[in-house]
Amino acid sequence: MAFLHNILTVSHYEAKTLRRSWFFRLFSIVALFFLTIINISMFSPVGGDSWELISIPSSVPLINLYLLNIGQAIVVIFLASDFLKKDKKLDTNEVLYTRSMSNFEYVSGKTWGILRLFLSLNLVVLLIGLTVNIINKSMKVDLMSYLEYILLISVPTIVYSLGLAFMLMLLIRNQAVTFFILLGYAALNMFYLWHRAGSVFDFMAFGLPLFKSGLIGFENPAAIIFQRLIYFFAGTALIMATILMFRRLPQSRLQRSVAFVLMVLSVAGFGYSLFYTVENYTKSAALKRQVIETNRQYEKSNFPSVIKSDINLIHKGSIIEATAGMIIKNDNDVQINEYLFSLNPGLEVKSVQKNAKPVAFTTSGHIVKVSPDKPLLPGESDTIEISWSGKIIESFCYPDYSDNIKEYRYRIQMVNVRKRQAFLDKDYVLLTPEAHWYPVAGLNYYPSNPGRIKIDFTTFSLKAKSETGLNVVSQGLPSVSGDYTSFSAGFPLTGLSVAMGNYVADTISVDSIKFISWHYPGNDYYREQFRELKDTLPNIISGFMKDLESGFGTPYPFRSFSILESPVNFYSFPKRNTQTRAEVQPSMVIVPEKLSTIRQAGFAKRFERQKKQMARNNQVITDRDLNVRILNNFLRSTFISGFTVTAFNIPLLNEPTRYQLGPSFYFFRNNFYSDKYPVVNSVFESHLQKLNTPGPPGGGPDRISGNISDNDMANLILRDISFRDLLARNPSPDTLRVVLTIKGDYLFNLLRMNAGITEFNEWFKKYLSENSFTRVNILKFNDDVKKRFGFEFYPLLEEWFTGKGQPGFLFTDPEASQVVVGERTRYNVTFIAGNPEPAGGLFNISFRTGGGFGGRGGGGQAIFSMTIQGGRGGGGGGRMMQISMQGRGMESADISKIVYLGPGEAKKIGIVLDNQPRAMQINTLFSKNIPGDISMTIQEIKKAPPRTAPFEGELLLEKMPLFTDPEEIIVDNEDEGFITSTVTETNRLRKLLGVKRSTGTVYQSVNLFMAPDYWQPVVLSSYYGRYARSAVYTRAGEGDKSVTWKGIIREPGYYDVYAYVGKAGDRIMIRGVGGPMGRGPGGGPGGAPGGAPGGAPGTPPAGQGGQGRTREQNPYRDMHYKVYHDDGVEEIVLDWETADPGWNRLGTYYLSPDTVKVELNNKTEGRVVIGDAIKWVIKK
Amino acid sequence: MKIEIRNLNKVYPNGNQALKNLNIDIEPGIFGLLGPNGAGKSSLMRILVTLMKPTSGVVLLDGKDIQNHRRELRSILGYLPQDFRFFTSLKTWEFLDYSAALAGMKNRKERLREVDRMLDQVGLLEVRDRKANRLSGGMKRRLGIAQALIGNPKLIIVDEPTTGLDPDERIRFRNILSGLSQNDVIIILSTHIVGDISSTCQKMALLNKGEIVFSGRPEALVGEARGHVYRLHLTEYEFEKAKEEYNIISTIPVETGWEVQVVTDTPPDGNAVLIEPNIEHAYVYYMEHKIHADLNI
Repeated sequence: MAFLHNILTVSHYEAKTLRRSWFFRLFSIVALFFLTIINISMFSPVGGDSWELISIPSSVPLINLYLLNIGQAIVVIFLASDFLKKDKKLDTNEVLYTRSMSNFEYVSGKTWGILRLFLSLNLVVLLIGLTVNIINKSMKVDLMSYLEYILLISVPTIVYSLGLAFMLMLLIRNQAVTFFILLGYAALNMFYLWHRAGSVFDFMAFGLPLFKSGLIGFENPAAIIFQRLIYFFAGTALIMATILMFRRLPQSRLQRSVAFVLMVLSVAGFGYSLFYTVENYTKSAALKRQVIETNRQYEKSNFPSVIKSDINLIHKGSIIEATAGMIIKNDNDVQINEYLFSLNPGLEVKSVQKNAKPVAFTTSGHIVKVSPDKPLLPGESDTIEISWSGKIIESFCYPDYSDNIKEYRYRIQMVNVRKRQAFLDKDYVLLTPEAHWYPVAGLNYYPSNPGRIKIDFTTFSLKAKSETGLNVVSQGLPSVSGDYTSFSAGFPLTGLSVAMGNYVADTISVDSIKFISWHYPGNDYYREQFRELKDTLPNIISGFMKDLESGFGTPYPFRSFSILESPVNFYSFPKRNTQTRAEVQPSMVIVPEKLSTIRQAGFAKRFERQKKQMARNNQVITDRDLNVRILNNFLRSTFISGFTVTAFNIPLLNEPTRYQLGPSFYFFRNNFYSDKYPVVNSVFESHLQKLNTPGPPGGGPDRISGNISDNDMANLILRDISFRDLLARNPSPDTLRVVLTIKGDYLFNLLRMNAGITEFNEWFKKYLSENSFTRVNILKFNDDVKKRFGFEFYPLLEEWFTGKGQPGFLFTDPEASQVVVGERTRYNVTFIAGNPEPAGGLFNISFRTGGGFGGRGGGGQAIFSMTIQGGRGGGGGGRMMQISMQGRGMESADISKIVYLGPGEAKKIGIVLDNQPRAMQINTLFSKNIPGDISMTIQEIKKAPPRTAPFEGELLLEKMPLFTDPEEIIVDNEDEGFITSTVTETNRLRKLLGVKRSTGTVYQSVNLFMAPDYWQPVVLSSYYGRYARSAVYTRAGEGDKSVTWKGIIREPGYYDVYAYVGKAGDRIMIRGVGGPMGRGPGGGPGGAPGGAPGGAPGTPPAGQGGQGRTREQNPYRDMHYKVYHDDGVEEIVLDWETADPGWNRLGTYYLSPDTVKVELNNKTEGRVVIGDAIKWVIKK
Repeated sequence: MKIEIRNLNKVYPNGNQALKNLNIDIEPGIFGLLGPNGAGKSSLMRILVTLMKPTSGVVLLDGKDIQNHRRELRSILGYLPQDFRFFTSLKTWEFLDYSAALAGMKNRKERLREVDRMLDQVGLLEVRDRKANRLSGGMKRRLGIAQALIGNPKLIIVDEPTTGLDPDERIRFRNILSGLSQNDVIIILSTHIVGDISSTCQKMALLNKGEIVFSGRPEALVGEARGHVYRLHLTEYEFEKAKEEYNIISTIPVETGWEVQVVTDTPPDGNAVLIEPNIEHAYVYYMEHKIHADLNI
């Protein structure tokens, strides 16, 4: 009892002392204040009520303790190191040391004192969270998670920090040094170590995925517990070592022995937990390598195609047993001697039979090789039955991705969520085709050609039961017979998924399609919100499906559409061979529990907000209509337009949302394949996805974040490398995505140019429909194109695939005239285009016609919206800032003409339009032109004399015209005569750490939010340039950084000196409230306030120009040029706001034959300075 | 209860030998340890309270080596170190309560009663709720005494306990110790204030440069100085001369000049009057004459 009495006495007074320390008090006050605000703003009904958090009840304790833990990990370090320092310094402690207590009791008492003090703080914080949790009626309360998180997050962190601080203090004996070492360690954890080696270094659970699903709880409790035990045991081992090494003469041999034994046990526990965590990570990495190596062996092999597969599945806790009766076919040109299948390596094939007789088989890794009696000849079919059982090894999925949580980081607010691809345990099952839970006749990854994909259209049927009593869900409509549930989709599918859990279904039939929502009981929270819409729901769904079908120009191909609720951890990686993510399956979309990560799914809050907003704006709308609007917005933004950009979690997510249904209209229905060009299906998919999905054009949000468009990025990537060579280098999915798209665009523009734009589009739509659920060889497609249009495209693919050169296009300004043809007024636009480069290429032309902003006929305008959470309120004073940008879709209906220019060719081009053109937009597709989207404003339309025949078509010119006046001396920022001041590294810390920073060598777009302090090249079609329409910009300064244009004058005389102002109309609107994703049919909002009339289409950067802003807002203001001339130097201030777009005269100066120069420095009252080109023109 | 110190040596890592072959027996009662600064008193104390190990030799408590039986020793120990100034942010009563709890008083009510009793005894009851580190120097000393005495220790070791105390408090403290010494308690009092020894100690040792130079009753020490202490009346001139010639123990200005007390082996000339020595005289005589003489300095 004395033992406990002493520990409790020491802990009591240690806690009391610490509680009175200013450091702890300050921390507690700040933590409580900050976390109260966080709780109110995140979880309470009066705050932001972020749906992704409130939909999952465990998020309250998680966020609270996550934030508190970061702080307390550091404060504990300070207080713990203070403990030993104090013991050394305080002479009064000697009287305590002479008391009858062991070192074990003393150090344990101190430890428990600190621990219990911090646990009390944790409890207070959790109590605040719990109060808010209870108040918010939209949230459930998960009381257990409060305890779980305190044990998982706080206890191991505090114990470890204490132990480490004690030990270091004993060894170093200097609190300041100890504190700084430990503080550095904490910083290292937060900035460098947290994601490495399976989070093994993450002592403060800074990046450790701890999100607890509302469906299945902790998805991998063992992994989490062992990671935390590493630090708990390390902490206890260090504390025991501190007891043994404590500088006070010990008094109890027994307790020293106990401390020693506990230290040894802790070290053993630490070792095992460490081993478990590292082993898990390395095993997974090794398996992924193994999968890739096995795939490498078989990627050239001929796999059969599975035509039909009847799967009988039994779920037995953490294993499955299954049998599939399959019909396979040889689609190859050669006979198959072995039937090859890929099966998850955790599963074991039990038998292979044909007509109830065993068939020989072997396995090699995850490859199953079945040896039939006789070879399967091309075109022939066979029937076999395969039985298998076992577990699912998740690492098999996506072997080209590591388990590093930083890779494609998946976060909810600030906390990471572990990415899971498959679930198989007694309480829950989710297996998608990615897991290869049934034999798949193809590989999940082709190492030599990651863009390759093998698609089978298989008629699946599934008969399944769960021995743990779970409900079975799959694609198609269910029918129950005894313990078994059967599913049949009615159409061939590219893959089959199965889920088992406590699912219930909501079903509604609309236009002969069954819509099923598979969810957990109580998670149909939307019912309450949309109760009034019960009668109109079929109409809403019907409208949504019609929009979807008209967008893709083809009917929805399946008889059912299921939405399957899955644990929030389910996550698919982007693949290199398709843009389709595993969340979208044929006739099924797998959504996160309670639609948690879908912002628009917080229906009640959205309703409340929009209602208030409308009331402020004196708008009247019924609750029912508002709910219809909210539901429509949700459906469209989630499943159709699919572009979500959230700026709260920087960096911006620049990827289509994972739930869009585009794949149902191409990827799940059509497939083109080629042995020689295996990437062809991905190219088709990329183009068709972009073609049909009205989303933001070439990287709208990229422009805002300062990146260049996907199109331009792809052209820069392909500048010195062929498509084939790039694929061989196993590029990242992002790189591959942009390259596939540009290659697809080029290929289809080529087809359209030869076939005729409208003719090809209509024919191709029909062709896809006729070849639904069929694999089409590209050679057959070539034959069909030839039959219909009389030309072959296949021979051109060689150059398309292996060619290295890029064309480069030069254009004169367009000239427009009004002509009368018959009795109709029409508009004739002519211009000259040249391609001086040795490689030929295509560009297409479209026009902005009609009136104001967005008033372009022909559709294809897409308005997308971006919400920036927590941003400054705009005009409306709201918390959300919505930026709506106008973008140009790639719809072929927009394109007026596609032109081919061979190497060294120039053409005069004429186009006749029905409507008055405002601007001409050229997309140079695959070329040296950066940016590839060139916008040319049509300034003037002349009236042509009566009976003037318009010029329409192309006229090949005999020689390449001059695109610039030879009398003019122009130095662009791309030229040799352009010099930027050197970037000097002044930051010592950066130097010390060897942190390299961007030196402005790669093109970007102007980023007004974070302008660089060096001269960064940027591209925009309104800038001056030969191929690269670029300039350089930097943030405002004191004139200490400059750029210089140097030209050579050969003739003395007076020269006009001009500076180029690459100013486009202000195409950006900033409105004060958040709102749903807008989907803009042609038209859109008619003109930005004060915006340029008509203006050029495209996606100009944020804040370019000044016409739409007040003077205070305009980031481009005074530019300070220094013109050097014979009589000295003159400083000229050019006001960008009032300057005309294009060349602006700085003055006239006498210049002698010599090198002349003009300088521009970074002094300005605006936010940035931009330098483009300088021109000297002699006065005659 | 008996403490036996046998052949005790302490050599610090820097080579300084603080204790040299010490041999003392200490029995219940107040044992005074007298010696100049640096004599090794505190080193001896720290070894006795098990804050430090000796280099060689043993300290036996009832025949048991205290280094092997620290729990037994610490469970009966009350200790006041020489420096006792810096506290954590505990209140006066809390600090005492902390000490009492560690001294084995488990019953909270009894403990609090004892805390208040002890605070009253040392005159700190009025400041019981004041933070200990905001007490005056004397108050801190009294708190130190209180914490050393709380919990009825059987062995009380106090190092310079009366430093900073006013005369009243010093007397009160001596009385407390005297009271305690009646109860089979060993009190080891280290001091350089010789008055503390003469007023309270039954036995004492004189420590110099790590060695015991005298051990016995204080009266014996006084006896050694008898016949060597004189009182003189001196003019200003004579006084200046006497300063060079004698060890002057006390100096009182009088109308005709100075009345001084000196310790000397040879009687001074003139009006010198032999007086009865006290322990202070004895200490000076011992330190300045006897040791020097023994060493032939």
